[in-house]
Amino acid sequence: MIALLVVIGLLQAPSSFDHPKHAKLFPSCTSCHRGAASDGARASMWPDAASCASCHDGTIEKQVTWSPRAGPRRGNLRFDHVEHAREAKTKAPACTACHTDAGAPRMAVRPPVVARCLDCHEIRTAHLAAPDTACATCHLPLARAVSLTRADVAGFPAPPSHADPRWPSREGHGAVARSTLSTNCATCHAQEFCYQCHAGGSPPKSIAVLASDIRSTALATHRAPASHGANFADRHGALASASTQSCASCHVRSDCLDCHRTAAASGPRYHGDGFLARHPAAAYARETSCGDCHNERSFCASCHQQSGIVAARGLRTGYHDARPFFVSGHGGAARQSLESCVSCHTQDDCLKCHSSIGGRRFNPHGPGFDAERLRKKNGQMCVVCHGSSIPTSP
Amino acid sequence: MKVLRSICLALVLAGPVSAQGYRVRLDTRVHSVDFRGVQIDSVLRSATVPDSIGGLYTPDGYAVHCEPGDTYCTFFREGPRHESAPLVATADASAWGFGVRGLSVHATARLGYDLSSDDAWPGMEPAFQLINGYVEYAVERLTARAGRQILASRLGTTGFDGGAVTWRLPKQRIDLTGYAGWGLARGAAIPVTSPALNPLDDFQPLERQIVAGLEGAWTARLGEARFVYQREVDPHFDKFVSERIAISGAARPMPGLTVAGGADYDIAAGWWGSADLSVMYATRNVSGTIEARRYRPHFDLWTIWGAFSPVPYKSLRASVTGRPWRPVQLHARGEVYRFDPAEASTPLVEYETDGWRGELGATVDAGHGWTVDGGVTREFGPGAASTGSGGSVTYSPTRAARVTAYASWLDRPLEFRFSESVLKMAGFDGGIDVNERVRLTAGAMRYSEDRNRPDAAAFDWTQWRITAGVVVLFTRGADLENLPPAIRRMPGGRNAR
Repeated sequence: MIALLVVIGLLQAPSSFDHPKHAKLFPSCTSCHRGAASDGARASMWPDAASCASCHDGTIEKQVTWSPRAGPRRGNLRFDHVEHAREAKTKAPACTACHTDAGAPRMAVRPPVVARCLDCHEIRTAHLAAPDTACATCHLPLARAVSLTRADVAGFPAPPSHADPRWPSREGHGAVARSTLSTNCATCHAQEFCYQCHAGGSPPKSIAVLASDIRSTALATHRAPASHGANFADRHGALASASTQSCASCHVRSDCLDCHRTAAASGPRYHGDGFLARHPAAAYARETSCGDCHNERSFCASCHQQSGIVAARGLRTGYHDARPFFVSGHGGAARQSLESCVSCHTQDDCLKCHSSIGGRRFNPHGPGFDAERLRKKNGQMCVVCHGSSIPTSP
Repeated sequence: MKVLRSICLALVLAGPVSAQGYRVRLDTRVHSVDFRGVQIDSVLRSATVPDSIGGLYTPDGYAVHCEPGDTYCTFFREGPRHESAPLVATADASAWGFGVRGLSVHATARLGYDLSSDDAWPGMEPAFQLINGYVEYAVERLTARAGRQILASRLGTTGFDGGAVTWRLPKQRIDLTGYAGWGLARGAAIPVTSPALNPLDDFQPLERQIVAGLEGAWTARLGEARFVYQREVDPHFDKFVSERIAISGAARPMPGLTVAGGADYDIAAGWWGSADLSVMYATRNVSGTIEARRYRPHFDLWTIWGAFSPVPYKSLRASVTGRPWRPVQLHARGEVYRFDPAEASTPLVEYETDGWRGELGATVDAGHGWTVDGGVTREFGPGAASTGSGGSVTYSPTRAARVTAYASWLDRPLEFRFSESVLKMAGFDGGIDVNERVRLTAGAMRYSEDRNRPDAAAFDWTQWRITAGVVVLFTRGADLENLPPAIRRMPGGRNAR
């Protein structure tokens, strides 16, 4: 990732000192800004207020109130005037090489002109489109830019690469981060930023390369992956069940349980508004697997019981009155929607007819029934209908 | 009581140990809602009145059902009007920093209580439910948990009181998980022996089942694969309750394209359960999915339902979401399905064996915090059908406040019962963050239901439904407020673990 910042320019308030007006008075920049030419520890970058007062004494010139800035400069530039001059390959650049626009008069100064930095360092792109290797040339990692506030970090501009819809994916930022995490990504980001999304089971170990800095969470990461279009909650099932690991990159279990959890009085909802009214159609043919979240007995049957739609007084009550002979011919419908049947009927209702002991001996076994296998796994189930004399075939 | 005593003892013993950080989220909601069903009644056959085509009615106009030879006929009249005010309070708590790096404690519990005198709201027993409560130790290669936990896998959600261990092999990109314990009922946070799971006085197991399972996952940049094997055993009879295996996988051959699929096999019953295969493609403005799937319900072997040979259905469904221009998003989805032959002779009853579902909708981001949404749905299939439409207008002036007004209409005929209902719903709901730790929600809905029947059971049922809620967050030891939900729910963020 590339992130070359213009923080210094944004953060420094415009100077109230009118440099062009004083152009003839000060032939040299370093006569006031001595720290730019000598070791900054001993010489101040700013003139003292008394030197202004030598002219602005109220007699020669009107009095002014000015005092040098206290404390370090707020910014993340990796820059020291003296060192920069010393390490320059040919000769030290003049102050105007950075502090004026190209072609501007000497004293038309301004905070560092990023374009001129890039130009001198032979970076032939826009600032934020600079190559991955370039950020650390001028900028400190976020964790070392201690003067920046959380609000400063929130104002970091995003490079164009981050706008790519594939950027949130492994192929996007993942591929880039593998090689540049500790250098360029670190200019704007720290561990906490990554963990905003990599909150699941196994975050990339490379994140540990970054320093820890809670200010990094000032940058928002809420953009969902491209796969998450509208109504993703409705259609995420297949993908989520097949690739839970992918989901776990950004989500934790509680995210799922917010919806995938039974709630007697609907809490956070999985189903849309009015689903209770619509649920018969969805439930008969199991639009989704109801049983994953709802227990048919406690959730469905208890509500149906309160609503009076359980088989409390026998099977010939005529509840299914759209089919007068429903009891006689319910087999097909029952095999299709057995989960719906059991939300109103007990096993005892069925055993009234489908039992070889005491019932009418109607054989309920249908396609796919493997009597021998089931008997081996749980013969107790067979005993319910067959008693102790379990047949060897249905 | 034994569990309660253990928890109290643990709390007392844990007194000297203090956590460096904790997070507790209390979510309390209360509803005011009426519901009204039907109740069975009977009348002497001799007291019934025939209509012009020979149908029999009670003297006050209810259609009756008379079995040949019976003296009495039955019918369903409107049931009593139940007024309920269920209150549900859910607490999510996590604590960490006990002096052992990677050690944390998690619990989610729910308290339910019906504030009304009717005490009629279903599903409120037991009043207190511990949904999960476990101790976790997590380091880079290992995660171990002990206590009540719920695992989600392709076989559904599995709850148990026991232990789970995940071992990670980063070089091989493999995760292996094993778990075992005393199981909870499917889709519930209570044991299968609980009376609350038996409202109809059905058969019930005598002891909790033992659950054990093994999961394996391999993940790579271009795809992943996983399997899960799970068995449940009834210790009372030493018999299987279930034994299943599932496989699933996904491939991402190119950016935006995902092919995913999986299937589960019921070893105990000897048949394939549910399966699916989907292809999804997503770009910045358009995404679409085509999926073929098969669904077959699963029943525990302590019930007789599996012996009734439930048949699966196969379906093909597709969905597409597009943004033809920036503020407008359109979505559509549809599904057609057909059940396998049930092989049950039904000369007297015809029934549907296939069906379809469809939905069309649009969402418009009108700017300045306004969003307009609308759509139509229609479905037709075995058992029931529905046709509906609805829309909403949401105004969210800030991230902290939202109010939505909505209205919808639904027609829902049933296949096996003359009870075609027409519903009309209109209302509003909203929420506001009072501060970073408190959120209030409220809503009200006018609910109108007309039961269209050609007899006296066609009663009208109109009411107001009121909802209110409050969410309170307590945290210590983490600057979590600016984090998104995914990480906020973690105890103290990744660093603190």
